[in-house]
Amino acid sequence: MTNLLNINYYAVAPELVLIGFAFLVLILDLLLKGRDKAVLGYVTAFGLLVSIPVSYFTNEPVSFSGMVAADSFSAFFNIVFCVAAFLTTLISMDYMKKAKADRGEYYYITLFAVIGMMLMASANDFVNLYAGLELMALSFYVLVAFKINDNKSVEGALKYFVLGALSSGILLYGISFLYGYAGSTNFAEIARAASAGSSQNMFLILGVCLTVAGFAFKVALFPFHLWSPDAYEGAPTPVTALLSVGSKAAAFAVFLRFFAGSLAVLQPHWAMLIWVFSAATMLYGSVVGVSQKNIVRMLAYSSIAHAGIILIGLLVTNDKGSSGVLYYLLVYAFMNIGAFSVITLFVRNNGKGANICDYKGLASKRPWLAFFMALFMVSLAGIPPTGGFTAKFFILASAVNSRYYLLAGIAVVSTVISLFFYAKVIFYMYMKEADDASVFTASPGAALYNVVIVISAVATVLIGIFPSVFMDMAVQAVKPLLM
Amino acid sequence: MMEQVFFYIFSIIAVISAISVISARSAVRSAFYLIITLMQVAAIFILLRSPFLAAVQVFIYVGAVMVLFLFAVMVLDIGREKLVAYMHHQSVIAVPAVIVFFIMGAYMIIRGGWNVSNAGFPEAALAKSSEVIGKEMFGRYLFPFEVVSLVLLIALIGAVALVLRGREKDKQC
Amino acid sequence: MIQLVWLIPLLPLIGSVINGLFGKRMGKTAVGLVACVAMVASFLISLSIFIKILSLPVAERSVEVTVFNWITSGAFKLDVTFLIDPLSTIMILIVTGVGSLIHIYSIGYMHHDKSFWRFFCYLNLFVFFMLMLVLGANYLVMFLGWEGVGLCSYLLIGFWYEKKSASDAGKKAFVVNRVGDFGFILGLFLLFWSLAGHGITSLSYKEVFANIHHLDPSMLTIITLLLFVGATGKSAQIPLYVWLPDAMEGPTPVSALIHAATMVTAGVYMIARNNLLFSLAPYTGEVVAVVGILTAFFAATMGLVQNDIKKVLAYSTVSQLGYMFTAVGVGAYTAGVFHLMTHAFFKGLMFLGSGSVIHAMGGEQDMRKMGGLHGHMKTTSWTFIIGAIAIAGMPPFSGFWSKDEILWETFEKGHHYIWALGLLTAFLTAFYMFRQVFMTFTGRCRADHHTQHHLHESPKIMTVPLIILAVLAATGGIIGIPFFEEGTAAHHFLNSVFSSGQHVVNHAVAGGGHVANAAGESEAIHGGLELIMMGVSVAVGLFGIFLAALLYYEPMKKFAPSFWTPENLAARFKGLHTLLYNKYYVDEIYDALIINPIKRLCWYCWRFDLGVIDGIVNGAGWVTRLVAWLMHKFDVYIVDGTINSSATFVSWTSSFWRRLQSGYLQNYALVFVIGLLLIIGGALLGW
Repeated sequence: MTNLLNINYYAVAPELVLIGFAFLVLILDLLLKGRDKAVLGYVTAFGLLVSIPVSYFTNEPVSFSGMVAADSFSAFFNIVFCVAAFLTTLISMDYMKKAKADRGEYYYITLFAVIGMMLMASANDFVNLYAGLELMALSFYVLVAFKINDNKSVEGALKYFVLGALSSGILLYGISFLYGYAGSTNFAEIARAASAGSSQNMFLILGVCLTVAGFAFKVALFPFHLWSPDAYEGAPTPVTALLSVGSKAAAFAVFLRFFAGSLAVLQPHWAMLIWVFSAATMLYGSVVGVSQKNIVRMLAYSSIAHAGIILIGLLVTNDKGSSGVLYYLLVYAFMNIGAFSVITLFVRNNGKGANICDYKGLASKRPWLAFFMALFMVSLAGIPPTGGFTAKFFILASAVNSRYYLLAGIAVVSTVISLFFYAKVIFYMYMKEADDASVFTASPGAALYNVVIVISAVATVLIGIFPSVFMDMAVQAVKPLLM
Repeated sequence: MMEQVFFYIFSIIAVISAISVISARSAVRSAFYLIITLMQVAAIFILLRSPFLAAVQVFIYVGAVMVLFLFAVMVLDIGREKLVAYMHHQSVIAVPAVIVFFIMGAYMIIRGGWNVSNAGFPEAALAKSSEVIGKEMFGRYLFPFEVVSLVLLIALIGAVALVLRGREKDKQC
Repeated sequence: MIQLVWLIPLLPLIGSVINGLFGKRMGKTAVGLVACVAMVASFLISLSIFIKILSLPVAERSVEVTVFNWITSGAFKLDVTFLIDPLSTIMILIVTGVGSLIHIYSIGYMHHDKSFWRFFCYLNLFVFFMLMLVLGANYLVMFLGWEGVGLCSYLLIGFWYEKKSASDAGKKAFVVNRVGDFGFILGLFLLFWSLAGHGITSLSYKEVFANIHHLDPSMLTIITLLLFVGATGKSAQIPLYVWLPDAMEGPTPVSALIHAATMVTAGVYMIARNNLLFSLAPYTGEVVAVVGILTAFFAATMGLVQNDIKKVLAYSTVSQLGYMFTAVGVGAYTAGVFHLMTHAFFKGLMFLGSGSVIHAMGGEQDMRKMGGLHGHMKTTSWTFIIGAIAIAGMPPFSGFWSKDEILWETFEKGHHYIWALGLLTAFLTAFYMFRQVFMTFTGRCRADHHTQHHLHESPKIMTVPLIILAVLAATGGIIGIPFFEEGTAAHHFLNSVFSSGQHVVNHAVAGGGHVANAAGESEAIHGGLELIMMGVSVAVGLFGIFLAALLYYEPMKKFAPSFWTPENLAARFKGLHTLLYNKYYVDEIYDALIINPIKRLCWYCWRFDLGVIDGIVNGAGWVTRLVAWLMHKFDVYIVDGTINSSATFVSWTSSFWRRLQSGYLQNYALVFVIGLLLIIGGALLGW
């Protein structure tokens, strides 16, 4: 029996580390009083930092009776999650004070969310995957509603929660059909059944359709994206940053492992589905982003557009496409969190700082911040020499290599359209004079923001200038998938 | 044969009462319909040689969850009208959409091939279904089982964090 | 050691970043220290690489160091690769060496400037780009540097941007350079495109040179001509030289480093680097040589009558660059690079010297208000005179060897008219340089009392670089003295780089039957002729100095004939003087012929814009906005709204007016389900 169980604690070491820290923070939250609670954020950040090397060195064979595949692929994603959560934790310490929602639960719920993402990335079985997904989703429901006195926050969370529950139901329904088809919930078993049996089996098709819908919700693909602008806008801004990076990356990890990995044989059958998703999502995200006035909503639509482009890499089921997805997600984590950090620094409880026009004249008041914000915008828009450019380049190159010319063309068009709203931010910062400079006064905890912004900016540029280093990592990471 | 007859009886009642859950005008009434639905599902579990699941279904959902839910409904006094008000706005589109969905689903299920029976367990083993479930849960599905404990924990913490602490802050303000 | 080459550009970059980020808070000493330490360290590494290269056998002196691989996509590969060979080694030595001295000098010169840190940030950044330009082993890295130095030059010319003339000069430099860069980039595109036709997609010099023979000569001629257009922009040759004199609005160390010693020589370097291409396109070579010598001559004539101390030097720079282009144009690449090096020494020296003078004069640049400064600032004066002797081509100073080599090579290769014009230019150069020396340092001081009172020698930190540069200017010609049988040390060292191009030229000359008269003659006569030529050019130079002395040197004035005074000459040749003084009205001609028509065209375009283009753009913008609006409304109306309106419909019929406001959430869920339907429906229809 023990042989069958195949318990391997090393395979879940990053998760175990984070669980340990989560409980540590939980207990500290109970013990500490008043101002001492400030230490919670640092403990959380430290835990996430510790988890990065642990993730890096975790590379174990499939364990827990085929449930957990802690390979280089999940390691890459785990690092992305930890880095993203680390950065957002740093900026949330001051933000939460500002938002009058400074409570210890925030930190360990963040940790639990990260654990959920990690479980998703290393899941090799739908049961395990679902457990991880729910862990992440539940944590995010709470985090989005964390400004409990703010109606928008609660409203966004409620929408996210109800629709999330719906998508979970759909996902489970799909999983049950896949189980009916393959007789197992294990990815490897389903892959075996898919390559052996008929690809026209209706159970398989229905199962795939429903599970795709379930994940498309998490990635916020059109038309399953409707929750995201509301939830992004309502949530505490650091949570939005983590949500847009982490939850998206986790869902992409599953997408990749299941589609590019297990169902790669059936690529011609699901290619069209993903193709349409990708084209519709990137066009929709970039076009609707144009008319946004709220900067967080704008970034929400931008993140929808990015998801569409990343999906191209999924469609190209070879090492170029898959590693492109990983690379893109890594870059996206940094540039998006960087942009959100600048916003977090300025956003006020009364809604000041949330509109694009509030950034008027930032360049003359706070030139460095404006410069970094412009850098993130440039990177999001995909202009060299930033990481955003190389990421788009790799994805599009892989698409062209695999003869998805039209899709690559649509991606370019959407990029051009999205340039409009990124440029708008830069335009407001540099070309206009501030009417009300009081927005730009820094809060006392500004040093932490600066750390996060500088880390993100350096990483964004560094990844853009030395792409091959990170690309090699991504290529290494996707190797276990494509065997 | 007999089994199939019972299956259809239970499932038809389940579907009808499920529809009633969402169309009932009073919250208390929908809760009772939901109990009926859950009971039918429990009955279907018995047909599927899973008495343990059936018992769990009855104890937990019918016994515990629904009772709690009823208390909540009564304490919060959700009026009749309010529930109804939220239901009817989009039925023009929603009803056809759902119908199409079920038609397509049904078509696919009928056309599809079911490759698996009894989850690979012999009839004899299923007689002791609680043992099978226990072994599976602490065997093959040990890891997700442990993860679920975290899920429950986070649900607990989340509820406390949002409701209790939120109210505390309210008072302070 | 050679593997450490990446440190050479990296150190100035780090310096620049440090100064840029923290300079404002660091204090002037720290800023200067950071910048100079970065430069000196970079220089030391360059020096050790130079020594290393010398120790290697000739065949192994070209080393490529790949620093990192930027993008690999299929067969297409972009590397940041550095090429270490004798040519780039000389260039990095000049850039870091002269650059270090100028950095040190700047600490003193810029000490009172409020944007001290910004200056060093730009200066270090410039050095970084310049090093990328000369070190790059492929066209992409070179182009990066090429554009980068242009940017830094723009930033530094307009450094005192509060001054309108400075920011105008910056803009002018930028625009003129852009014209050149346009030609350059066009040439590069053409080169890649035509090579890609032969299946070569690499951008590295090695690959390109190895496959250049695939291209037909007419194509090569076009490519090289376009590249040369880029060079005329960067290196201030006719017709794009107009920005350089204006660029003197920048701080003097900038003029010394960028507009004399390094950046403006980028064009020469580029042609020398592509010597194989230019050798294969003999017609372009002719063009380069003719443009070069004409630039040299006309710039020298304009320099004759300028009164601004820096403007004289600026025209002399243009003129000397013309010499270098003449050299590379006739295929004397070594001579060109050699002159580039000596010019960096003596022109850097003279600019820094003039900076020291301006410093002492409290910002005054007009030579008519100077005079007699020799008594007040001995070091500056002596070093400046050394520079002037060097540029005038007096042996044994460095300028003599390099200029003489260029003249000799032109003569030897049969370009006698070019040689004659070059000789004339040498005469003019000697004249106006010493005119400047005499006007500035000798005679009576014409400055006002206040300024006279404050005359002082510059601090040590400024004079020490002057002395070092003076030593270099005096002795730098050593490597050009023909000690060896087969040529000078410079030839010996650079031969491996230029051998392929040289080979092509010799081959063509021999094959074409166009036998150069020197080639067939005996070595003895050859050597004799060279000596005679040397004598002639020295005599011409001395004559120029003599005439200048008669005009401007007080003790000599009494020997001059009565008509030989500046005033008389100006009166007698009034037309010519006005023409020269106004720089042949080139700026005005450009204004009239190009700029004003363009402005007018712009105005018409603007009108056109308003009417038509704006209409189209607005239309396109409007369409985009419409689509955005539509999509936005999709959220609001189709998603919520259609449902709302269908809800409205229902409400109308069922008279539930109150419930018009449909909650969003249900709509979202509905869209979710519809999306699901579409997926499954699509799957059923067979994606």
